[in-house]
Amino acid sequence: MDALVATYSRPAFEDEGYSSDEHQELIQAKPSLSLNFALPPMRNPSAFLRALTDDHANPSCPIKLAHGTTTLAFRFQGGIIVATDSRASAGDWIASQTVKKVIEINNCLLGTMAGGAADCQYWLGYLGMQCRLHELRHKRRISVAAASKILSNLVYSYKGMGLSMGTMCAGVTPQEGPALYYIDSEGTRLAGNLFCVGSGQTFAYGVLDAEYHYNLSEEEALELGSRSILAATHRDAFSGGFINLYHVKEDGWVKHGFRDTNPIFWKTKLEKGEFSNVTANL
Amino acid sequence: MSRRYDSRTTIFSPEGRLYQVEYALEAISHAGTAIGILSTDGIVLAAERKVTSKLLEQDTSAEKLYILNDNMICAVAGMTADANILINYARQAAQRYLLTYNEDIPCEQLVRRLCDLKQGYTQHGGLRPFGVSFIYAGYDPQRQFQLYQSNPSGNYGGWKATSVGANNASAQSLLKQDYKEECDLKEACGLAVKVLSKTMDSTKLTSEKIEFATVGKTKDGKVYHHLWGADEITTLLQEHGLAKAEEEDTG
Amino acid sequence: MWECPNYTSQLHPQLRTKMEVLLGFTGKDYTIVAASKAAMRGATILKAADDKTKQLNKHTLMAFSGEAGDTVQFAEYIQANIQLYSMRNDTDLGPSAVASFVRGELARSLRSRKPYTVNLLLGGMDPITNEPHLYWLDYLASLAPLPYAAHGYAQYYCLSILDKHHHPDIDFEQGLKILKMCTDELKRRLPIDFKGMLVKVIDKDGIREIDYDMSKEVLPA
Repeated sequence: MDALVATYSRPAFEDEGYSSDEHQELIQAKPSLSLNFALPPMRNPSAFLRALTDDHANPSCPIKLAHGTTTLAFRFQGGIIVATDSRASAGDWIASQTVKKVIEINNCLLGTMAGGAADCQYWLGYLGMQCRLHELRHKRRISVAAASKILSNLVYSYKGMGLSMGTMCAGVTPQEGPALYYIDSEGTRLAGNLFCVGSGQTFAYGVLDAEYHYNLSEEEALELGSRSILAATHRDAFSGGFINLYHVKEDGWVKHGFRDTNPIFWKTKLEKGEFSNVTANL
Repeated sequence: MSRRYDSRTTIFSPEGRLYQVEYALEAISHAGTAIGILSTDGIVLAAERKVTSKLLEQDTSAEKLYILNDNMICAVAGMTADANILINYARQAAQRYLLTYNEDIPCEQLVRRLCDLKQGYTQHGGLRPFGVSFIYAGYDPQRQFQLYQSNPSGNYGGWKATSVGANNASAQSLLKQDYKEECDLKEACGLAVKVLSKTMDSTKLTSEKIEFATVGKTKDGKVYHHLWGADEITTLLQEHGLAKAEEEDTG
Repeated sequence: MWECPNYTSQLHPQLRTKMEVLLGFTGKDYTIVAASKAAMRGATILKAADDKTKQLNKHTLMAFSGEAGDTVQFAEYIQANIQLYSMRNDTDLGPSAVASFVRGELARSLRSRKPYTVNLLLGGMDPITNEPHLYWLDYLASLAPLPYAAHGYAQYYCLSILDKHHHPDIDFEQGLKILKMCTDELKRRLPIDFKGMLVKVIDKDGIREIDYDMSKEVLPA
């Protein structure tokens, strides 16, 4: 890809100043050789791609990307809770109700998926490979900080070319304890206690922020994660399907089900009296 | 024995020597003497000119002393043609640093840049090392006035007073004998002509036979470097009673 | 649908950048640099304790705002280079040399395929002269040495306050008072909550963060 970019875009003042090849080499994060993508051979591949995929500006665009999500993750005393919905939409069409938006990078690291489904699956898969290589090379598990940095440097190197991802990396390592990072395709990478990502993020934040504190018990934490996703699936048209729930602990993650939202919704409504706006009365 | 190894710059001899580098050092020990003396308020560089001819145009051929940067000058001993390449490199490096950081390159860094280049020619195949030693005189705000010396191997060091070229052993011992710490620039200049007068082959010193340069500070604290003109050198020689013989000779 | 930049832009990126507060000024023997703590993305504050500064060497601190991703990448690139210089040469670059270097890198980037969109404040103490320095740089690679400076909407509020109250020889207590006037005004008038300020001081001993409490409510005038 570098070769192509170089062929088609040579800036006028490239040779101004001194050479910085050494620096470039060091910050170069793109994968080598076979993992390089072929870009459309035009001067501005990202604009070309946008023209073909932007169904908001152009409803009849030829390529419809699958995206639309609510994902959340938060740190608490017992580890990290990761929860997502499972709906994939392409434009106004629900493409799937059973998408696995938690990506198991390895048995201790989880990634979540929001934005372009293909982008997330591909690059989190790539991240899994890098993490395994790190393990083989250094004889110890990669830190969450390092893993998230690999991903953020990677997506940053493709910035402006149409990648669309909002992801969280959650893991527990002996040196860091429970660690949670937010990474998006703009190149942002933030460490934090609590993140919600996706079109339903605001709804999830609303429920989660109100009841979140670090000393939640495991049971409370799982329930809060699940309830926050439920809130988002109820209000956000592009979120729904199943609630995918994980708990990350030091010795690996544990899956806590992939459960249909519908019965959970009715159970919540009928047993707790919540969602009182949903009624058959006129 | 050495035959098999001395033609290659980059191969050690069985005794662990690099003959080409040693030959380069040998070449320098036949070149005109150059000395440098550090004082409290400046540095003086002085050098002996080997080629003197009445026909030689004096102004257009500085032979031994060069300006590297606003804050630095150097004296050369060895092959002038080689020195030109290195001086050009140093000037470019200094300007590039100025362009990047908007301040003069610290003296040691410039010396090191040159020495890194010189070192390369003792290691990478097939090329002849640079047949030059330098004495550098410079100023930077961090380390004030500084005097360095480097040789073809790429080694360098900081000195209070030093010499290179022909008779440098005797020059060095004279400096060791007569150098006083806390001397000022004027005294340093005196010491420089005295040492030169004793180490040079010719009995008479004239402004054609030596070059002089100083780095110092003006009254308002600005750093200057100055390559001396013939009349200034003559005045200095007269002050120290070393020009007499020549005057009688010509007069 | 997960928010795409070209899909629902709830907050224009330029607007978000201008909402980020960077503020700095020099005093008698110190420089203060302050940055807002909110990390914003669309209509969401993702983090309320973000550190938008990077220590470059013992006496130089850089605060940055601008395009997401670019900021941290650029800051880390500069930090790595300045640290490399310190390692190679056994001495730190002075603040003015750092500023020239950073400006050069920004200027180079400006003519590249994808320029960094980053605004910066550089605060430092010259380790040789012991003078405080502050430099203002924007993403178009302008460089200005200034006694006080700001980026974003904070400029419109704080510069007039500093015009009136700042003097080059103010001591640390006076400096903190002026800073308080600025941050109170920002809290009072900026339409969004920037989650308080992270305040760092550079003086002859190096760089330190100071406790800066902004939790007290500021009454509207």
